[in-house]
Amino acid sequence: MRNQGFNWHDPILWAQGLGVSVGVFAASMILGSLIGIFIALCRVYKVPVVAPLLLVISEFLKNSPVLVQLFLVFFGVPVLLQVNITPAEAAIFTLTGNTAAFIAVIAISAMDALDRGQLEAARSFGHSERSILRKIIAPQALVVAMPALIGLAVNQLQVTSLISAIGVIDLTKVGQILNQRTWQPFIVWAIIGVTYFVLSRVLAMAGGRIENRLRRHMDWAGL
Amino acid sequence: MNFSAIIGYLGMFWDGFLVTASVSALSIAGSFIIGVIVAFGAVSRRPAVRRLARGYIGLFRNIPFIVQVFFFYFGLPEIGIYIDAFTTGTMALSIAVGAYAADVLRAGIENVDTGVIEAAEVSGLSRLKIYRRIILPIALRVSLRPLGSVFINLVLTTSILSTITLNELTGNAKIVASDTFRPFEVYFFLLLFYCVLTYLLSLLINLWHRHLNRFMRGAE
Repeated sequence: MRNQGFNWHDPILWAQGLGVSVGVFAASMILGSLIGIFIALCRVYKVPVVAPLLLVISEFLKNSPVLVQLFLVFFGVPVLLQVNITPAEAAIFTLTGNTAAFIAVIAISAMDALDRGQLEAARSFGHSERSILRKIIAPQALVVAMPALIGLAVNQLQVTSLISAIGVIDLTKVGQILNQRTWQPFIVWAIIGVTYFVLSRVLAMAGGRIENRLRRHMDWAGL
Repeated sequence: MNFSAIIGYLGMFWDGFLVTASVSALSIAGSFIIGVIVAFGAVSRRPAVRRLARGYIGLFRNIPFIVQVFFFYFGLPEIGIYIDAFTTGTMALSIAVGAYAADVLRAGIENVDTGVIEAAEVSGLSRLKIYRRIILPIALRVSLRPLGSVFINLVLTTSILSTITLNELTGNAKIVASDTFRPFEVYFFLLLFYCVLTYLLSLLINLWHRHLNRFMRGAE
C-alpha cells in the first residue's frame, strides 16, 4: 500500500472538517435558540394545545439518543414522506430540534427566576406586553441563563460529532478517513480530540466574557 | 406508517436490549467508582493531586465521546491490546462518564459541613473510613439527583457504541431497519423504547433518593 503517510492534503481536509463542524454547530445553535425561545414563550403564556404538544415533543427529544434521532430523520423521514434529504440538512434539522428543547427549558427557568414585582410595576406603568418582554424580561433573563447556555453550547458542540454517523464530512468523519488511510489512530484521534478540546475551551471562555460583560450592567452603581 | 413489520423482529430488540442493559449497568458501576476516586482527588489537600483530578474532568468532558471511543477502539490493538467492542465500550464509557460523575460528586463533597469531618477526625476514624462512611453518604444525599441525570445520559450514550460494531439496541435496530425497509417505524419505536428505559431509570433514582434522605424529614 502506498499513500499511507500524512501529506499536505491532510491539513486542508482537517480545516474543511473543522469548518463543517463549526458551521453545523452555529446554524443549529442560532435556529435552535429562536425556536427554543418561541417554545418557552408558548409555555409561559400557556397557549392552549400548542404548549402541551411542545412539552411532549421536547421531553421526547431530551430523553432519547441524538444518534437515533439522526437516523430517524436521515433514514426514516425520506422513506416515509418520499422526499430527498441530504446528510447536512438532516444534521442541522435534528440538532436544531434538540437544541431548541434544551433552550426552552433554560429560558423558562430563567424567566421564572425574575422578580414578579417588576412585571406588575411595568404593567401598571402602561408598558405593552411586547415592550415588557423586550426591555425588562429579556435582558435580565439572559444574564440568569448565561451559565446554563454556556454549558449547553459546549455540550452541543460535542453532539455535532455524531453527524459523522450519517455521512456528514465533519471533523470526526475526517478523523475516520485519515485513520483508515494512515492507520495511525493515536496521532489522528489525538489531533481530532485536541481540536474539539480547544474549541470547547474557546467557547467556554468567550461565553464567560460575555457573561461578565452582561453582569456589569446588572450591578447598580449606586447614587 | 405500519408497525406490524417490526413484530417479527421483537426478539432482536430484546437481544439488543440485553446488551444495552449490561453495558449500562457495568459502566454505571465503573463510572461511579472512577467518579468517587476522581472527586476525592479534586478536593484533595495536595495541589498536584487536585490539579490532576481537575485535569481529568476537564479533558474527558470537552472531547466528544465518539472521538474517545474511536481512540480506544482503533488505538488499543496498535499497542497489542486486543479486546472486543463490548469491553472497549464499557471501559470508554466508564472513563468518560466518570468525569461527569466526579464533577457532580465534587460539588456534593464540597457541600458537606466541615464540622462533621472534623468531628470524625477527632473521633480517631481512619482517613479511608471518613471518606467511605461519613463524607460519601452525606455527599450522595445532595448529589444523587444530578448523578441520576448523568447516568440517564450514560444509557443514551450507549447508542454511540453501535459505531464500533457493538450490536446493542441501536446496532440491532439498524439491522432490522435494513431488513424490513421500514426505517421510520423502526427508529421511532427505538426512540420510544429509550424514553421508557430512561423514565424507569429516573423512577429508580427517585426511590433511591428518598431512601437516602429518609432521616431528613422536613428537608425535602
